[in-house]
Amino acid sequence: MAEKEKKKRMDYTLLVIVFLLVAVGLVILYSTSAYNGDVKFHDSFYYLKKQVFATILGLVMMFWVAGIDYHVWQQFAAVCYLAAVGLSIAVMLFGKEYNGSKRWLSLGPFSFQPSEFAKVALIIFLSWIVTKHAKTIAKTGTMFRIVLWMLPIVGLVGTSNMSTAIIILGIGVVLVFVASPRYAQFVGMGVLGCAFMGIFLALESYRLERLAIWRNPENYEKGYQTLQGLYAIGSGGLFGTGLGNSVQKLGFVPEAQNDMIFSIICEELGLVGAAFIVFLFLILIWRFFLIATHSRDLFGALIASGAMAHMMIQVILNIAVVTNTIPNTGITLPFISYGGTSVVFLLIEMGLVLSVSSLVE
Amino acid sequence: MRNKTYNKKKMLVVFLAAAVMILGLLGRLVYLMIFDAEYYQEKAKALHEREREIKAARGEIVDRNGVVLATNRTVCTISVIHSQIKEPERVIEVLSKELGISSGEIRKKAEKISSREKIKTNVDKETGDRIREYDLDGVKIDEDFKRYYPYDSLASKVIGFTGGDNQGIIGLEVKYEKWLKGTNGTILTTTDARGIELEGIAEDRIEPVAGETLQISLDYNIQMYAQQAALKVMEEKEADAVVILVMNPQNGEIYACVNIPEFNLNDPFTLNMEEDTSELDDEVKQERLNQMWRNRCINDTYEPGSVFKVFTASAALEEGVVNLTDQFYCPGYKIVEDRKIRCARTTGHGAETFVQGVQNSCNPVFIEVGLRLGVDNFYKYFEKFGLLEKTGVDLPGEADTIMHKKENVGQVELATMSFGQSFQVTPIQMAATISSLINGGERITPHFGMATYRADGEKTETFDYGEGKRILSQEVSETMQAVLETVVSEGGGKNAYIEGYRIGGKTATSQTLPRSARKYIASFVGFAPADDPEVLAMAVIYNPQGVYYGGTIAAPVVRDIFDNVLPYLGIEKQS
Repeated sequence: MAEKEKKKRMDYTLLVIVFLLVAVGLVILYSTSAYNGDVKFHDSFYYLKKQVFATILGLVMMFWVAGIDYHVWQQFAAVCYLAAVGLSIAVMLFGKEYNGSKRWLSLGPFSFQPSEFAKVALIIFLSWIVTKHAKTIAKTGTMFRIVLWMLPIVGLVGTSNMSTAIIILGIGVVLVFVASPRYAQFVGMGVLGCAFMGIFLALESYRLERLAIWRNPENYEKGYQTLQGLYAIGSGGLFGTGLGNSVQKLGFVPEAQNDMIFSIICEELGLVGAAFIVFLFLILIWRFFLIATHSRDLFGALIASGAMAHMMIQVILNIAVVTNTIPNTGITLPFISYGGTSVVFLLIEMGLVLSVSSLVE
Repeated sequence: MRNKTYNKKKMLVVFLAAAVMILGLLGRLVYLMIFDAEYYQEKAKALHEREREIKAARGEIVDRNGVVLATNRTVCTISVIHSQIKEPERVIEVLSKELGISSGEIRKKAEKISSREKIKTNVDKETGDRIREYDLDGVKIDEDFKRYYPYDSLASKVIGFTGGDNQGIIGLEVKYEKWLKGTNGTILTTTDARGIELEGIAEDRIEPVAGETLQISLDYNIQMYAQQAALKVMEEKEADAVVILVMNPQNGEIYACVNIPEFNLNDPFTLNMEEDTSELDDEVKQERLNQMWRNRCINDTYEPGSVFKVFTASAALEEGVVNLTDQFYCPGYKIVEDRKIRCARTTGHGAETFVQGVQNSCNPVFIEVGLRLGVDNFYKYFEKFGLLEKTGVDLPGEADTIMHKKENVGQVELATMSFGQSFQVTPIQMAATISSLINGGERITPHFGMATYRADGEKTETFDYGEGKRILSQEVSETMQAVLETVVSEGGGKNAYIEGYRIGGKTATSQTLPRSARKYIASFVGFAPADDPEVLAMAVIYNPQGVYYGGTIAAPVVRDIFDNVLPYLGIEKQS
């Protein structure tokens, strides 16, 4: 492809898409959070200010990481892994509770969400360890060993944040799948996974209740958030009510700037605007795919594949939850939902992929 | 480690899986936002919209000539919304200056973090407009209607007043609520989850329909004149109360209904006595207010006294138990069974005809006539003349006649009832009954309501009070007209005489219960012209001091009214 002559030049298409998503994300975040900021903090810019600060920090980090040869991170892979484990333990011990979950570490005026760091750390660590064992990856024993490495992180994150644990698990599975030449064993793994999910759901009755709420949100008090999201989506129609004109964000959809932000996009920008955002994500994933396939070595390819896995899992799950396609689980929409740690590490992850893209064949 | 072909194939598999799922979700979005949109939009709308009422303007009450007696005034409610105030100091200064409220009090409300704080209600429109011109952020001026009575206390107990929700509380305002109140409109506003209205979103409005205008038979000029006459006599005689009724005896239309003391309809919850009422507890005050609002013409009964002799005479003539020329003798009393019942003139009237007996209002004559009628006949006519039923006047709370049970009536009771004692009726009942006896003999329904009109002037309803039922023969009715004319021209009613007019009438002086209190009610009923009555006036003076004879103090009141009202009604003097 054309990239052969453009050696040492990062993927500008990816960069443009990232900038577009970040910019659109901030506009939407302001529109969605102004009311809640005003009500809670008497400052309609409260959420936007924090998000802008994190975004600037993230962009600086992204360009710094993009400029570094990504092979450097092979040396730090183990450190990343240990740091992720350490921070996850720290958050269990000293974490700050918010909405009933211990997910934040307080650092003076800032708060930090270790699970967001864990995702990037795991992408680096898994890419490194899978590359190391690439020759024997097809063997069940190797696979078992890699899964064993993942378990502490998945377990630690999973105690307070089930959704992120699922994302991390998903990234791991995708990386092993990409590295392995075989297919059959993954079908078996899929069947096993489904069975495991079944037992997992049946074990706790509240998870079954979630299924019931999913099917008929009107009949359950806990279906309120889902139902309000659907009202917002349905209210949008083809072209939406116009940017800033959502009514559902005015306290009807609780904390509209978080997980449910996509429903407000639908209400304000309509099907056209929502489809535009979805296409931005699709192009982003497509760029990850291109970069992964054009990477010279497996480590780079796995980093790009990990980012692709991360992005697709989070986008798909978020939109699926908001549209009530699957039962409710708390997953944010990358670049758009409110969350400083999330945007910083997402941008660092983009930096990694950009670095990979600048060393393609 | 190289990035091998099978690795790339796997990446493609992952990407394609992602693309398929994302496109699937897009399909789901299309479904939700195009095909399910209407369902969710309706649900969301129902969730966001709040109804707010727009008050309908209450219908006016006008007199028979269109003079407005009750109308509406636009008033403003001033409130502040803390979160929208941009210049708090200026807001406090302006509101304090315009509304005359201390700046501290306004500051407290302006600084309170709430959705809306009321500063003052019932602010007149000019002040509201002035405040609006300052164009202050966070200050809201809402317009509303308030009932307004241009003549304050005129016919207060007839017209009545309205409460906080603009609903009638007493009087015609209650009786004609259905016509007057109109239909409230609604504004559908969009609110956030806390119920706070959003600005800049189009409102759905259902316009209110104003109430209908009620035209009543009252005549502003006659009412005004009667009220002045009543006030004058009340002051002269230091009476407790004075009631005056002026009506058309042919069709029952009431021209004036005065109940002195009246109260101010624009301030109906303030007692009309001069004493300090701030010390009164609520229950006592409410009781006093209820007393103040009572319409004595309709809500209270009294012993009619000699005015009732019109009834006894009519019944006796109709029954044929007496002739005008029958001779009677009055020694100053009459003994019935073991009781000696006195005449007003203790020295006696001596020999007299029946007509003279009526002129003299001689009790022994009427006792004799009553006894000739007998209990059965007396009750027959009492019922036939409509005294046992309510008159059907269109005001709430009409009192029932208080009457002996027929089986308990002996000769003594019959004797006292014959000259109007030992039973009670309302003044309106007395006026209506006498009207019916002297108008040719047809029972009329006294009333105020005549018709209703829409705001654009089109008549929507004419109130019909039915054809009068015949209760007395034309012949006897005409005889009564003639006899009662002689009461004024020659008898006890001569103080009601006006040169050139043919006026009929009857005086009355009754003692209230307990008799030992020596309190009297003086009254007079007059009508003109005597041979074809067009107007009937009745004056009742409660507890006058000094001279208390109806012929002396009540008859001049009616003469005074006739002196002005007869020419006003276009009734010409005869030779």
